[in-house]
Amino acid sequence: MAELSQRQQQLASEAKSEKARLRQSKRQLAMVFDLNKCLGCQTCVVACKTLWTRDEGMEYMWWATVNTQPGKGTPKDWEQMGGGFRDEEPQAGKLPSRRDFGEAWDFNYDEVFYGGKGNSVHLQPSGDPDWGPNWDEDQGGGQYPNSFYFYLPRICNHCTHPACLEACPRNAIYKREEDGIVVISEERCKGYRFCMEACPYKKIYFNHTRLLSQKCIFCYPRVEKGVAPACARQCPGRLRFVGYLDDENGPIFKLVKKWKVALPLHAEYGTQPNIYYVPPISPPRFDADGNIDESKPRIPTEYLKYLFGPDVETALATLKEEMTKTKAGGKSEILDTLIVYEWKSLFGPFTTDPATLEPRKV
Amino acid sequence: MQCKKLTASRDRMLDPAASEWNSVPGESLKMDATPLANQPSEYIKASRNEKQIGKVKNLMVQVAHNGTDVFFRLTWEDENKNVEITDNNMFPDGCGILMPLNGGDPPIDEMGSKDAPVNAWFWRADFSDAPRNTIARGLGSTQFSKKCPIQAKSMWGQGAWAVVFTRPLAVPDLKDETTQLAPGSSVKIGFAVWEGSNGERAGVKSFSKEWRELALEA
Repeated sequence: MAELSQRQQQLASEAKSEKARLRQSKRQLAMVFDLNKCLGCQTCVVACKTLWTRDEGMEYMWWATVNTQPGKGTPKDWEQMGGGFRDEEPQAGKLPSRRDFGEAWDFNYDEVFYGGKGNSVHLQPSGDPDWGPNWDEDQGGGQYPNSFYFYLPRICNHCTHPACLEACPRNAIYKREEDGIVVISEERCKGYRFCMEACPYKKIYFNHTRLLSQKCIFCYPRVEKGVAPACARQCPGRLRFVGYLDDENGPIFKLVKKWKVALPLHAEYGTQPNIYYVPPISPPRFDADGNIDESKPRIPTEYLKYLFGPDVETALATLKEEMTKTKAGGKSEILDTLIVYEWKSLFGPFTTDPATLEPRKV
Repeated sequence: MQCKKLTASRDRMLDPAASEWNSVPGESLKMDATPLANQPSEYIKASRNEKQIGKVKNLMVQVAHNGTDVFFRLTWEDENKNVEITDNNMFPDGCGILMPLNGGDPPIDEMGSKDAPVNAWFWRADFSDAPRNTIARGLGSTQFSKKCPIQAKSMWGQGAWAVVFTRPLAVPDLKDETTQLAPGSSVKIGFAVWEGSNGERAGVKSFSKEWRELALEA
């Protein structure tokens, strides 16, 4: 770029301070997902879909996803699409296509259910789809007998330094001051999709009917009423902890800051994500003779480091230690927290039953 | 730049192929990339190269009025006709006309300022010839007004777009939202073109980087 004029420097500095204002928040809501408990049932995915993305133009949107790892994920190969920051500098990113996300397929419901062909025609998508939001489910990696997989649930990371917020030329994206939830103002958004390019997690979607960008809102209308986000409350596996990151008595603070057994996904993308993962513990490998080799985990540590960074080794070591302790009859506060004896202990201050609330008047 | 007075109906002039346009003098404007340093997004600055912004380098502008309505005909070469947003990575072609809302000398490369707003007439290929009247008070601040007094008609053929905008010269009930024009007076004017196939949208476009003075024939 050519040398900046004084005016251009002034513009840049004004824009910078406005962005700093937009990403300020007094507190930060966060989640911890315990990957050792995710059974890939997709209940969170459907809970979110049912609540938020059923309108026209949102067909291909899945604000919450669960993908098999190793795998291409959703959208397909999102980890190779760039975006985020390196040394604080924004990195160019790709715009995922609707096909990359996995189009919503049309099924022959009418024919099968109402057309009298229930006994002769199979329910099937029209066309010949070769990709979908969960196309490589349960394929995983490794070679028998050391094949492995685990599930990775993802939502918007409600980052502390969101690449989407930084990218928007209209300042349409901001963090809510009270809880750090990242939202897009539908009044300001014009559907330019720079946010979609810049988000390294590819968790922003373009609404093709309303011509604007949309994303996970951490169910803020529920949160405001003391109700946990739908994906967390509906999860049968009790693996999604919800709460404020600075609540020292809450499980999130303990798992992330105190015990350091929950880690962000791809922290190297530089956006300071606020969804944390308890990494998967794996069984040992079999050696060439079919004997158990305790020295090596089934899930290659290198792969987990790729996802969760170098601290994953310490996190896994801590978890193993705690398991050894309990096997010997000892107590482990970490494991007790992760077991979640009491369902509501997952949700911090957000334990209200939505069924007890007055329905919203429309 | 001249806005010629003629006798022709609004319906005729709105047609980009109408023969009346043959008698309206045109001016070919050199279009430049919007300055990358002015982009109100660090991401845009980091991910774009100014040399690749502003694929459309020339814009032909013709302007006329019939005493009641004003007509702009913008034509430019474009081999790629991008009309629909068929996918997340598709962007439609577009063009726009810019004027100070209340006179004065707002910065054209900053889309006006808080104190000196600009009025943009914005056509995009996917708007089904329903252009938008917009107001801007600085970079990244454009907002569509609720009422739009502008109409447009477009055609694409032989590798070129032709877009006609029209609006009543005076729109007294929208004084705060659209620039008032009058025969015998002049107004500062600027233009922009977005090439969809080049991913151009928002401030990533080619533009006439200095105001022109448009004189409306009395």
